[in-house]
Parts: sequence; C-alpha cells; structure tokens
Amino acid sequence: MEIEIPIKKWSGKIRAVTIGTEKNGITIGGEDTLPFHHFEGSIPNKPIIAFEVQDIYPSDWLDVVKEPYGEYLKNPIEWAKAAVVKYNADMVCLNLLSTHPDRENRSADEAAELVKNIISEIDVPLIIKGPGSSEKQNQVLNKCGEAGAGKRCIIASAVEDNYKTITAACQAYGHIVVAETPIDVNLAKQLNILISDMNFPPGRIIIDPLTGGLGYGLEYTYSVMERIRLQALGGDAMLQMPFICFVGQEVWRVKEVKVDESVEPLWGDMKKRGICWEAATAITLLLSGADILVMRHPEAINIVRKSVGRLMEK
Amino acid sequence: MSKIIASAAIRGAHKIFSRAETLLKETVKKNGESREVKFPGTAYYLPVVYALTGKKVERLCDMYEPLNQAKSLLPKIPSENLWLPYLGDALDAGIATLIAEEIIEALKFVNGNEPINGIWLGPTTDAVLREQGIKLVDGRMPGFAACVGAPKTKEEAVKLTRDLQERNILVFMSSHTNGVSMAEQLAEEGIEMNWDTFLVPYGKDTSATVHALGFAVRAAMTFGGITPNGLKEAREILLYNKNRVHAFVLALGEVDDEKYATAAGAINFGFPVIADTDIPQILPTGICTYEHVVSNIPYNEMPSKAIEVRGLKIKITKIPIPVRCGPAFEGERVRKENLAVEFGGKYTTSFEYLISKGLDEVEDGKIEVVGPEIDDVEEKARLPLAIIIEIAGRKMQKDFESILERHIHTFLSQAMGVMHLGQRDINWIRIGKEAKNAGLKFKHLGILLRAKLLSEFPAIVDKVQVTLYTNEEDVKRLYPAAKSAYEERDKRMGELTDESVDTFYSCQLCQSYAPNHVCVITPERLGLCGAYNWIDGKAAYEISPHGANQPIKKGECLDSVKGKWKGVNDFVYERSNNTLPSFSAYSMMEDPMTSCGCFECIAGVLPGTKGIMIVDREYQEMTPSGMTFFNLAEFVGGGQQTPGFIGIGILYIVSKKFISADGGLKRVVWMTKNIKERLKDKLAERAKEIGEEDLLDKIADESVTTELEPLIEFLNNVNHPALKMEELF
Ligand code: SF4
Repeated sequence: MEIEIPIKKWSGKIRAVTIGTEKNGITIGGEDTLPFHHFEGSIPNKPIIAFEVQDIYPSDWLDVVKEPYGEYLKNPIEWAKAAVVKYNADMVCLNLLSTHPDRENRSADEAAELVKNIISEIDVPLIIKGPGSSEKQNQVLNKCGEAGAGKRCIIASAVEDNYKTITAACQAYGHIVVAETPIDVNLAKQLNILISDMNFPPGRIIIDPLTGGLGYGLEYTYSVMERIRLQALGGDAMLQMPFICFVGQEVWRVKEVKVDESVEPLWGDMKKRGICWEAATAITLLLSGADILVMRHPEAINIVRKSVGRLMEK
Repeated sequence: MSKIIASAAIRGAHKIFSRAETLLKETVKKNGESREVKFPGTAYYLPVVYALTGKKVERLCDMYEPLNQAKSLLPKIPSENLWLPYLGDALDAGIATLIAEEIIEALKFVNGNEPINGIWLGPTTDAVLREQGIKLVDGRMPGFAACVGAPKTKEEAVKLTRDLQERNILVFMSSHTNGVSMAEQLAEEGIEMNWDTFLVPYGKDTSATVHALGFAVRAAMTFGGITPNGLKEAREILLYNKNRVHAFVLALGEVDDEKYATAAGAINFGFPVIADTDIPQILPTGICTYEHVVSNIPYNEMPSKAIEVRGLKIKITKIPIPVRCGPAFEGERVRKENLAVEFGGKYTTSFEYLISKGLDEVEDGKIEVVGPEIDDVEEKARLPLAIIIEIAGRKMQKDFESILERHIHTFLSQAMGVMHLGQRDINWIRIGKEAKNAGLKFKHLGILLRAKLLSEFPAIVDKVQVTLYTNEEDVKRLYPAAKSAYEERDKRMGELTDESVDTFYSCQLCQSYAPNHVCVITPERLGLCGAYNWIDGKAAYEISPHGANQPIKKGECLDSVKGKWKGVNDFVYERSNNTLPSFSAYSMMEDPMTSCGCFECIAGVLPGTKGIMIVDREYQEMTPSGMTFFNLAEFVGGGQQTPGFIGIGILYIVSKKFISADGGLKRVVWMTKNIKERLKDKLAERAKEIGEEDLLDKIADESVTTELEPLIEFLNNVNHPALKMEELF
C-alpha cells in the first residue's frame, strides 16, 4: 500500500545568520521546516559545534574533560589553537570567566587583549562570552566587541535587564548578539523585540533559550524550543532566529557526571558516562532545533558531529 | 510656528549659507578644487552633510552638491506683512543651515584656523563617539545639552553646568553671547573641560554647534545601523534622534538670527530649545515629542524643564541612603527590643497617599519632613505619619495612583532596618535602632521612595516629590483628603464596567507552563490568580509595552450575554497559538476562559443540582464533586478550555458578570467557608442586589456536607434558587 506522507507547508522561515568574516564565515539557520524534516522543506545549513575555551585554567573541570587538552589548558590561545588544529573546531567559544568580580576580576582591557590575540591566531569564527555579572558584563563585552570589530563574532549574552549596552556594542562593532531568556517563549520574543527596537537588525540575533543538562530540566527547554520553532515557522517574525545552546557548562556539573564509579559502581565508567551525557544532551537539543552547540569534550563532540552528518542526509 | 522665529531662522539661514558659499569659493581659489578636506578621526566624512544628503565629502569639489541642496532648501526671506508662518519653511532653513555650517567648520581645517585650539575641542572623533554614544544608547547618560551662548554671569554658568553634570547629562558648548562664551566662563572658574568630565567645548562660533548634531547623526549611523543614502535615510536618522537621542538646546542669552537658524536645524532632530530670554514660545507638539521652544526659564530651572520637555529619563544608580537596600531585606522584621521609632499599627494615625499632579505642580526631588525628625524624638517613640507622594508624568494617569501606591510597601521594606506592613491608612512602619545608628533619617524614606518610583516606573513617572508629616496636627488635617481619595478609587473601580471600556487586557505570564493559556482581564473579571485586575493590566502595558499584558480591542460584539467579541476572539486565537477560536467572558459552559494553574478558586458544575460549587486553594478536603481542589486542578489547569469548570480569582465571584450567562451567583450551591468568610460583606451585598437576600444561608459549605446526595437534600430543604433554574447542560 502506498502511504502518502502528509507534508506541512510553513509560512515562516528561520533567518540565516553568518558568523565570521568573508574568509572564514559560517552560516547557520535558514531552514523553513522543523529540524531535519528534509522531506518537508529545505535545511540549507547544518548545526555547528563550538569548542568552549576558557580564559583561565579550568581548575574546576573534571579530569575527564581536561585530559584531552592537556597542557594547552594553561594558555587560552594555545587551547583555542588546539581545538582548531587538533580537533577541527568549526568555531570557538571564548568564555571570559576570569573577568567576573567574584573570580579573578580581570579587567576588560585584558580580556580585549586576549580576544585580539585569539582572533589573530585562529581562523575560525569566535563566540565571546562575558562573565554575566551585569556591570562587568557590559564593560567586558563592550571592550571585546571593539577588539573584535568587523569580525562578526557572536557576543553572549544580552538579557532583559541588561541588553542595551551589549546591543549597542554589537551594532557599533558589527557583531551578532545572543538574546538570553529563561526558558520561556514570550520572554524570548519580548527580548527580541526590545533588541530590535534599538534599530538592531533581527537577522543578527541568536536566541539562547537556556538549557539544563540531561536530567536537569532538559525536557523543559526541549518543549520551549519546539514551541518557539513552531511559532517562528508559523510566521512570527520575532522568533525566527537560530538557537545557541551552551551544553558543556551545564552537563559537566551535574552529579551523575561528577560522581566517580568507586562511589556509584552501578553508574559505570565515569569518562564514558560524562561523554555520553554531553552527547545525549546535545543531540536532544539538535532535535528541538539547536543551531549552535557549545561543548567541551572532543569525543562527545565527535559523536554529535557524526549524528549531525547522518541527520543532514536527505 | 511663531512668525518672528520663522522669519529670523530663515534670515539667519541665508546669512550662513552665503558665508559658506563665499568661503568655499575663496578656499577653492587658494587650494584648488581637488584639495582634500576632512574632520579628524572619522570615517563618516562630514557627518551631518553625509547623513542629511548621502553625499561623501572628501575634497573641496564634493562640497558643491550638498551646498546646492542646501540652497534649494532655502525658503524666500518672508516679507513683513504678507507671509504666513509655516513650520516647514523654518525647518528646511534649519537643515540648510546645518549643511552650510558644517562646510564652514570643515573649511577651517583647510584654511589653517583649526577649530581644535585651546579649550576648544572641535568635532568629535569616532572613537570618542562610540565610547560616549553607547552611554546615550543604554541610558547611562540620559541625553545631551547643546548650550549655545553664555549665561549672564560666570557663577550662573558654573551652577548650570553642575546641575547638568549631576544628572549625568553630557554638556556641549558652542557660540557666544556678545563675545562671551560659556566655555570661557567655565575655564576662568578653573573647571576642567573634556570628554571625561562630560563638558565639551566645541567652538566659539555659532557654526560650531553643528558638531553637536554631528555627534547625533553618527549615533544614529553607528548605533542605529542606518547608512545615509539620500532623503529616506536622512529622515530615518532624524527620527532615530527624535526617538532615542534625548538631546536639547539651551539658548543662553540673546538669540540672533543665526542662532535661530541653527535651532531650527536642531528642531528637525526633535531637539527642543529651552531659552533663558523672552523669545516667542512654540508649544504645540509636532516635530519634537513635546514642546519645541520654551522661553524665559531661569537658569536653576533649566535642567528640570529640559528633562520635562525632552522627556529625559534619569537613571538613579545609587540611592543615597545610609542603609543597604534590596529585596533581601524585604521580609525582615523590626522587633520591639530593636525599635527606634514606629508609626501606625494600632498606636498612631498613619497613612500613605500617592497622588498625581500636573507637571508644573510637582518639584522633582523635593523631599521634606514636616514635624520632628528621628533625632528629635526619644527611643521607641510612636509618631503619627502622613507620607504624601506627589507624582507627575506625561503618561501618568489617575488610575495608576493606586498601583504605584501599592509599591510603597515593597520599596520601604527593602531598606535594611525598616519594616513596613499594610497599606493606605492601615500601614505600620518601624525603624530599627541599627538603622537609626547608621544615620537613617525620616527624610531618607522619602529619598528612597522617589528613587524607586523613578527607576521602577520610568515610563509613567517623571517627577516625584515626597513630604513626610510627623506631627499630629498636619496628619489629622491631611487625613480626610486621603481617606476620601481611597473611597473615591474604590468607587471608581466598582463603577468600571466591561461596557464602559473598549479595551481589555491580556495576561500571558503563565504561558511559560500553560502554553496556550491567555487570561482576558476585563474591568469586571480579574485575572484568575487574583493578582491582576484591569487597571493593573493597563498600567503594566504602559510601563512595558512589549510585556505580558497587551491591550485587546473588544471589537464587534458577537454575543453580549455570553460576552463574546470579535476582537477578543481574534486575539485569543492568535495568542493561544491558533488553538482557541472562541472565548466567552461570562460563561463557564461555552468556550470558557482557559485555566493555567494559579487560580485562586475553581468553580465547577455539580450534576444533579443545577448548580455549581466553588472551592478555594486553601481547602484541601473533599468536595461534593467527589474531588479535592488538587484533583480538580489537575484536569482544569494546563491552559485548556474545560466547559463546566473554570479557574477564577476570588473577587470574580462578587462581580456582576460572574458567570452571568449561566445564571450568575444564584447558581452557587456549595462554597467553602474560607470563601464565604473572605467575601462576607460583598456576598451579602450581591445577594441583596439580585433579590436573594438569604442566598448565603442557602449555599452549603463543608460544615453542611461534602457529599452530593446530602447536598441535594439540603438544597431542597432550603429551597435553593438554582432548583428553579434551567439545567446547566
Ligand atoms: S493567572 Fe495571573 S499571572 Fe497568570 S496569566 Fe492570568 S493574570 Fe497573568
């Protein structure tokens, strides 16, 4: 018997966003159907994985994640280079953790210097992630935006209470802004409107819906992303932005990943467990529409890459 | 537009234009047409010329075209008696002026009379613009003042400057009055002027004023992402400035034709002119958001007048009170042992009253204590108190008074060592010893209230004045007015009906977990969580126009009994992600409102009684429906329509519109004691209104029964009115 697959035609389309320069630019988004529904519409660009690199030695990372990077972790530039050269990173996410006032409180100028150096050393597009604390976040991202002027980086993140400075910096220096809201369709939309209201082009906004790791509210994010997508494809222009998900930082702090097998023998090999946890979280997010995944473990990244390859087959 | 101003502006424009024309001719003669010309440190050519005409001036010969455009904009000089004033002419003259002025300024660089010279900083570089402009865009800097001319004395210049600086307003200075310039006055007083002090002297000629507008247009290009390309983009740039760059012109001293012409240029940007002299005013709004020209303003009132006229929003970053302040201290109690002073409670007369007034009736920042201060009274003193807050705002409405007033509680509680309970005339305020020792005065409560009101409600609050009366006499004298205002407000709330308005408000806050849920809030039906009524929705929309509360135009009435309107249906359909095509406001049987999960009560049909029961969240026992509140909540909630069941705010029960399509209050056959207790008087009143005075006694509660059979028996015994009604389904 012939089975006719019902085809849904959507009126909306996700905006395509190009990150990076003419030379190294990568485009994400642009799909006019649900994730990997090749039979229904076109998905011109595949999801991208960015390697997370911190501006300071990640002493709080598990050995399991530190191990593949070894000595490189001591120098963020070397670390970024290793991600690109050794592990073929498509994109690097520089996490400027050490600028946080409760951490080393490094200055915005220092951070900007690092951004400059990394940009000159690696030739993949860059995500610049601030420390989050609002006053400092603004100083750091403004300076780093200046340092990366014209390189069309992704700057993370603007939030409802603090979006103006970052948006203005992204506008002035030609970057892409991440609009972060806590797992809520309407809040995501509202922030996109607020940012666009500053005359910022909606085509340079990426949504961070906020996610938890597997077992920590992932399903909540999944359904919110799904709803954002449905609404976007249904024609809501203020939700037609690609998604970015910061996976690594969420996964590698959950108990199920951190506890070692001597404590919980039934949970099995800790290394394998962590990698699987990160990969499983990432793949789930891919299925709900993630366009950029920021991850940590090269092996987890490899698994996800393979999945992306297969999912992109028509 | 005032004829005097328009004529002067046009005359001035002609003068400046011919000066530019001559100067260009001479410069070309000396240097040749292809001589390079530019401002230092900018990639925007001559920014104003570029923004307004789309022309990139790089050489002298590139100046002909923009200058020609300026010429074509120049209106004829009006004759004394024939000409009718016309705003457009003056505005065009203003644009022509700015183009000509920028050319004059640029030619200075070629001719060796550099505008960057001594105290004068000349045109802004892009790097500075980005650094400073970001502050304008994100609100750290509320706006800039282009000061043209000079105040009468040095002292006044200093005072004015300080007043502007205090408010974080960037100060640009240019031109002079009879040879005296404001920047020179400040220099003589030893005041440091540069971009770090926010004091920027552009140049002593009137034409240097154009650099302030060069700053403005580049803000639009840099932060507004607009690339000039002719008229359309020029318009966008001007609009960007009108809407986002909160600048204004302070005309200091005599205003000559050239200054008028330049001011006309600024008005195109939506920058109003505030003058100290008695020039004609242009009040009606049009180009500028509010007034265009206001005059005769004394120096000490200029900053606040400018803030008012330009609609500036001042950000208060640090509230100057000696104790810490934040949500962490909200729940804190001040115990008797620690008490320094207290007001109200059951001990003294105390009330808080917020009232809205006209913009000229409120002096922003004026905080006064009338009566003893904290140090004047002994420990543990009990004082009477009247907190009178006067608010003015362009968008303030009388209806918002009660909403803002309700926030007094949160604001005062947030100060460490201050306890606030209750509201209106049943408030109770305690100040602890530690707070007193830290230096907290009564006055600080006023400072705190002002700062909070301004920063939390910038959209509706422009000015705040607070008076705290702590003497018996005044408190007694002022109380009747407050009391009647409270009554008046309640009365107004009571009188607001669904028919009397054409707009309802939505609330979608709960969509985060009930994806298709939309609360439709009408004057007679509050949100089902009980936290939002119609006025709250209206205010929330004013405060945050993209927020969770949106206006819903009722539109055509489809069914006045069930409460169906076309506009509401369309809205609910769209906002429920195209799942709910129809909605009725007054029926729980047909297309009822969806229920999210935070309802205060659930109303549900009771088969066999022709009536309904209402159970509140607090009540955890069984109900005659055979389900507890939580069982019911599970299938009523989640954002679907469940005919026969609705989640409601408790006050909806006493609304005239309470399931009015289904028979109203008479349908209620069972209701928890909690609800009866909470609504007692109002229920009695409503029962009387519908001619069922003894209805309350006929409604069973858990003390009568929690089972259906005995309930039916009870209803028959008391002859409940529902028995005579039609079946509900
Ligand atoms: S229940 Fe309350 S908070 Fe939730 S949507 Fe309705 S009015 Fe808003």
